[in-house]
Amino acid sequence: MSNRKIKEKGIESLLFASGAVTVVALLLLCIFLFRDGYLLFDNYPVSSFLTDTKWYPTADPEHFGLLPLFLGSVIVTIGAVLFSVPLGIATAIYISELANPKIANILKPVTEILAGIPSVVYGFFGLVVLVPFVQNTLKLPTGQTALTGSIMLGIMALPTIISMSEDAISSVPRALKEGSLALGSTKWQTIYKVTAPAALSGISAAVMLGIGRAIGETMTVMMVTGNSAVIPGFPSGLFAPVRTMTATIALEMGEVPQGSDHFHALFAIGSVLFITTFIINIVANYIKRRYRFNL
Amino acid sequence: MPEAYENGTEIEVKDLNLWYGDNHALHDISIDIPKNSVTAFIGPSGCGKSTFLRCLNRMNDLIPSCRIEGRVNINGEDIYSKETDVVDLRKRVGMVFQKPNPFPMSIFDNISYGPRIHGMSKKEMPAIVENALKSGALWKEVSDRLNVSALDLSGGQQQRLCIARTLAVKPEVILFDEPCSALDPISTSKIEDVILELKKKYTIVIVTHNMQQAARISDHTAFFLMGDLVEFDKTAQIFESPQEKATEDYITGRFG
Amino acid sequence: MFSNAKINEKIAFALLKIATGMVVAFVLVILYYIVSNGYSAINLEFITSMPRNRMTEGGIFPAIMGTMYLIVGSMAIAMPLGILSAIYLTEYAKPGKTTWAIEMAISNLAGTPSVVFGLFGLAMFVKYLNIGASILSASLTLALLILPVIIRASQEALLTVPKDYRDASLALGVTKWETIRRVVLPSAIPGMITGAILSIGRVAGETAPILLTGAAYFLPRLPDSVYSQFMALPYHLYVLATSGTNIAQTRPLQYGTALILLLIVLCVNLVAVTIRSHYKNKIKR
Repeated sequence: MSNRKIKEKGIESLLFASGAVTVVALLLLCIFLFRDGYLLFDNYPVSSFLTDTKWYPTADPEHFGLLPLFLGSVIVTIGAVLFSVPLGIATAIYISELANPKIANILKPVTEILAGIPSVVYGFFGLVVLVPFVQNTLKLPTGQTALTGSIMLGIMALPTIISMSEDAISSVPRALKEGSLALGSTKWQTIYKVTAPAALSGISAAVMLGIGRAIGETMTVMMVTGNSAVIPGFPSGLFAPVRTMTATIALEMGEVPQGSDHFHALFAIGSVLFITTFIINIVANYIKRRYRFNL
Repeated sequence: MPEAYENGTEIEVKDLNLWYGDNHALHDISIDIPKNSVTAFIGPSGCGKSTFLRCLNRMNDLIPSCRIEGRVNINGEDIYSKETDVVDLRKRVGMVFQKPNPFPMSIFDNISYGPRIHGMSKKEMPAIVENALKSGALWKEVSDRLNVSALDLSGGQQQRLCIARTLAVKPEVILFDEPCSALDPISTSKIEDVILELKKKYTIVIVTHNMQQAARISDHTAFFLMGDLVEFDKTAQIFESPQEKATEDYITGRFG
Repeated sequence: MFSNAKINEKIAFALLKIATGMVVAFVLVILYYIVSNGYSAINLEFITSMPRNRMTEGGIFPAIMGTMYLIVGSMAIAMPLGILSAIYLTEYAKPGKTTWAIEMAISNLAGTPSVVFGLFGLAMFVKYLNIGASILSASLTLALLILPVIIRASQEALLTVPKDYRDASLALGVTKWETIRRVVLPSAIPGMITGAILSIGRVAGETAPILLTGAAYFLPRLPDSVYSQFMALPYHLYVLATSGTNIAQTRPLQYGTALILLLIVLCVNLVAVTIRSHYKNKIKR
């Protein structure tokens, strides 16, 4: 082989190695996360972890019940979805179908600002503005509730939902819309009977990714949801403090002795969180791929 | 098939077959292309003429699903043998594309790009650039602004720049893949003049969908249809008394 | 019937407008609160001095510096790695299991919660590799977090380079790598830089990962090596707002910190967007 060929091969190998780093990183992430999580089950039965309704990590005997935290994440996420999905889709429709292009070009970057704000700033805003507002308006004993977390997470999920839905709506072929308008449908009838259904899978993928973001968000929920680890009722639980999986990890990791059961329990929670978002991502990708196929 | 070319044979192709995945795109192509002359490939779109052209400098290697069997000898050397260095091959067999594709650099840098990478010194560049641009009939138009971006030139000028860029690498063969299909008639005739001038020193193969162009500039013409080489002969022969019915149909249909 | 449809349309459009108005209102209200309360706290001293009196007075200099170290550290790791990966994926990779695995890993890393990266950083860098809670551990963790962002942005930038340039160069007998280095990369670099800059915003704002890998509640002096713990803006804001010594009294400091953080992130994004649009206009020409 000539020198030149050896050099070319060498460079290609180097590039491949860089590309493989992501795979290695993901594998290592799984190994380290699952290994430390699995160590919990040496001393604490899996069945208790999955079914115990109490999270009392420092009590005697200890309770490492996943349920209150998992359901805490679920209720905050459901609230966020209920809040952000209608708002996000409506905004996406307005931007892509109604607003004149000049206004749309202003609205798009404005909604993008929401994506740039750090989560701790959202948390801070929630803490100083929304928490007292929720407390006073709803006459609650505390404003640090699941609802407060849902609203903040909803706002944070908006840019993802808006920009992806907007892409999906804009990619609906014009001919389809014109076909409907030519039959004498109003613009609105066309949007909700033709355009929105055609963009549905794209919008669903957007919603899935929004859910993934909401369930994995840490700082904001930790600062505004009050963090009490009780199983939330539904919907009454929305108006009470709640604690998510993410907040538990971030709050407690600083204080646990490394290698203790509590330490491993937090990794077990992290593993559950990782698997949850992993599934959500796969579903979102699947939906997205299907929708690309259709168009 | 014409026998014993006066300048000898440059490219010999024997039983070449090409597949894109399961699609058998070229069937048993055999052809001898003469040295220092212009050979034109004609045929309706999708007939395989461009695909075949790209076999001659192995540009098809870039398409992952593409598979090739058969022999292509250039100057007696099998270009599909294991020992062949594709990079060296492409230095010897230059190519000008359908759409002018100058790099987003100055005119000077476009021309010096190849020679520089192939190890020529900076000092030699001005002379190389000037010669290449002169052979490409572009020197008079751009000699005073070699540092402006090549993208500011007109389409015809860009195409002549691409020819000059190919010449600067000193190839033996130049492949033209419908070089004028994106150009106006005046630019086209300038390019044709350049090609006629170049055949004194280079072997030229040109794919064209324009039969008048083939008739004007080529010495030999090959007619392709649906992946087959139907007929290959002196250009005058092909246009005046084709041997095959298909060739005649195509030529008369288009001339009529 | 017809008029009914018309009325429905009017109502629906009004609702869409209200929804959009609400979204815009969120942006404005958040920005307004942070800016109007924060700007009075910001002055030269706030930016350049150490916290004093158990963080109830003084500035946030070490937190700003800590965030800068993290940006430099994580970019130095993630940028070359991300750009090289993107080159591999767009220019070299052939469809197949390996490529599928890489693509899959990228999209799953992108969707993994940041606190999980924190756990991983803690388990692998801090504990297993024994780097300890430090700038280095946190930078490595953040680098993995932004790697997918940089790869995706670089891939997009590479894909916008016309295939014509590659063909032209290859046909001149130039090797694949030389073609990439001299023709493809120069055209793709502005797009790559845009992606990298956008991820700076991410690094500056992330809290959960650094919380687990080396951010300190308070340090009396600046870190002296990459193995030191550090203060950082987002964690500092969190500490002041939730567990400081006097939360109510330090509100102005909190607003000031939030505003500085916001300014860094938004300015960085603005720069990225400006580069991108400048570059787009250039291509159109």
